[in-house]
Amino acid sequence: MDAKDILGLPKNQLPIPQEKKSRPPKEPQRKPDGISREVYALTGGLAPLMPSVDVSQLKRRPPSDEKVTWQWLPFTNSARKDDLQLFHWVRVVNGVPPTGDYAFAKYNKSANIIKYTDEEYEKYLTDPAWTKEETDQLFDLCERFDLRFIVIADRFPSSRTVEELKDRYYSVSRALLSARAPPADITGHPLVKEPYNISQEVERKRALSMVLSQTKQQERKDTEVLAEAKRITESRMAAKGPEESELPAVANIGPDNSQRAITGDAVTPSTAMPSSAIAASSTLMADNASTLASLRMLRVYLRTYALDQMVQAASASAGLRTIKRVEQTLQELGVNLKPKVPTKAVCAEHLELRKEILTLLNLQKQLQYKEAEGTSFQDSPYSETPGTPKRAPRGDQDRPFMPDPLGFGGDRFGKRDQKRKAPGRTSEAAQSPSQSKRPRKMKASDI
Amino acid sequence: MSARKQGDGQPEDGGATAGKRLKIAKFSEDPEKKGLSRRLKDAEISLPIVYGTIAFYLGRKASESQSHKWTVYVRGATNEDLSAVIKRVVFQLHPSFNNPTRVMEAPPFELSECGWGEFEIAISLFFHPDVCDKQLDLYHHLKLYPEDESGPQSTKKPVVVESYDEIVFPDPSEAFYARVQNNPAVIVPRMPAGFNISAPAPENTSERERGDTKDHPLSQWFMNFSEADELLKLAAARQQPFMEMIYEN
Repeated sequence: MDAKDILGLPKNQLPIPQEKKSRPPKEPQRKPDGISREVYALTGGLAPLMPSVDVSQLKRRPPSDEKVTWQWLPFTNSARKDDLQLFHWVRVVNGVPPTGDYAFAKYNKSANIIKYTDEEYEKYLTDPAWTKEETDQLFDLCERFDLRFIVIADRFPSSRTVEELKDRYYSVSRALLSARAPPADITGHPLVKEPYNISQEVERKRALSMVLSQTKQQERKDTEVLAEAKRITESRMAAKGPEESELPAVANIGPDNSQRAITGDAVTPSTAMPSSAIAASSTLMADNASTLASLRMLRVYLRTYALDQMVQAASASAGLRTIKRVEQTLQELGVNLKPKVPTKAVCAEHLELRKEILTLLNLQKQLQYKEAEGTSFQDSPYSETPGTPKRAPRGDQDRPFMPDPLGFGGDRFGKRDQKRKAPGRTSEAAQSPSQSKRPRKMKASDI
Repeated sequence: MSARKQGDGQPEDGGATAGKRLKIAKFSEDPEKKGLSRRLKDAEISLPIVYGTIAFYLGRKASESQSHKWTVYVRGATNEDLSAVIKRVVFQLHPSFNNPTRVMEAPPFELSECGWGEFEIAISLFFHPDVCDKQLDLYHHLKLYPEDESGPQSTKKPVVVESYDEIVFPDPSEAFYARVQNNPAVIVPRMPAGFNISAPAPENTSERERGDTKDHPLSQWFMNFSEADELLKLAAARQQPFMEMIYEN
């Protein structure tokens, strides 16, 4: 059965040693150091990247020749400026207390504040908005509080904003730097490379606070607008591109624009725009808007093409059968499926006609459905259809129910085509929506 | 054609040639490129055309390979001159023809040939730079044999197949609009009062060749496309009593 047979390769002559080989590798797996077998299995049979615990250390005991005691001893902290002496427990080995500074003293870092002399101040650092006194105070606070400007602003005697303080501090430092060192050396210094921009900072913080305090609604609106803007720029880029204009995914440039496009084209001398040309529902308008938008992206198009697109857009929600029925109706009315003279007016009329037919057919369909529901209530004398009415499973309380008079349906629908069923009552008000759907024991026509 | 030259010779000379790539940007700050980059938003210029074929049976002069003489053409719907908009037309014939790609640089945009077979002719319209930088393709099936197959073919009565269509230019450039606002072949939107673009000085009509097809030798066969007819039918359809049902309930 081997592929090797087919390929003519020599079979592996020693299957047995293979089995033996597979066994030994398992052995070491069974005796890992320090970690139990199950834990190894958890990690997928692989060793962990880093040993979690140095296992060899676990069972180590302190060397027995050492004598360890714990003593309550005083200590000083080199990080402190005063000479405060405190006490703590110290591990003493063989009577020798540990040496060295307090272990945590090394963490006492502070910021490097540039100090200036009075002459330097006079020469480089004077500023109309800042007195020397204030600047001195600022620098003192900076040193004390390690450039924590929030705290410094709090403590600052006169009220200055954080940005002002920062600005003053950084500009002074920069001036000092550039004064003391030759310019070539310090161009890499962050203070020089990216100077503090106070107006930008103020603006940025203001924007941040605005974003923070946005209501949810505002946020949603913003995202919508941004998405819209992105789409528009994308569509512009697409249209700017070479020959073939890709039809961008512009859903809605806004119904307003499209309205203007349709109605804004002025009456030309040779054609008369019928005033009732635009009577579409809002969803159809949305479809239209996107088709129009995509048409406008093309630099040039034929009106028949445009009409096709619009027809497609309008019929997008309809199934194939409905479209066929629309076309059938058009033919019955004596209208060409594709206008022979597709001028602007003709195309508009044609489109409107199609839409109206579509609406008509949809309404008829809806009516049919409602009737189908309604016929289940009918007593036979009221029913005009000779066939069995549809039996929808309803509750039992329907027999005494008196249906509405036929009048509203009969006359108007007289001229319909033969696909219609008899008009029934569509008064759904009488039906309670919460009727149970238990199958009825008696049929409606049994009454 | 002097008409064309006039169009290109707008004050923004440098802009006219340099700005061939028409931008969508509504208002360019650069006054030189004004004519081409300023576009009339939400407006469209349309050019009604008729294109098709007329085929004559050659009768006694017919041979196996050349039984019909036919002409394919693109004309203005009212037989006006299209050359203000269309720069050239390329007819792509069946490969069995010599030089199947025929280019017409001047009106009337038509081509006559002799042959025996029916095939689809591809008609490509190229427009002037300030009109549109993309070509538009039309397709037309050349019909030689009449529907009615009774009796011998007549050499007097040709087989005519024409299609009416309108070429729509959305957001046209101002230069284009200025050039064609008084052109009888073109349908321009009516601009609000106060909107004035100076048209280029009218050409001397005697100097340029007639590009219209009003007196074309074949004009007697041209079909009449009446918009009114179609509109009437459509309006009548919409008025049908049962159509009113959609407005009730």
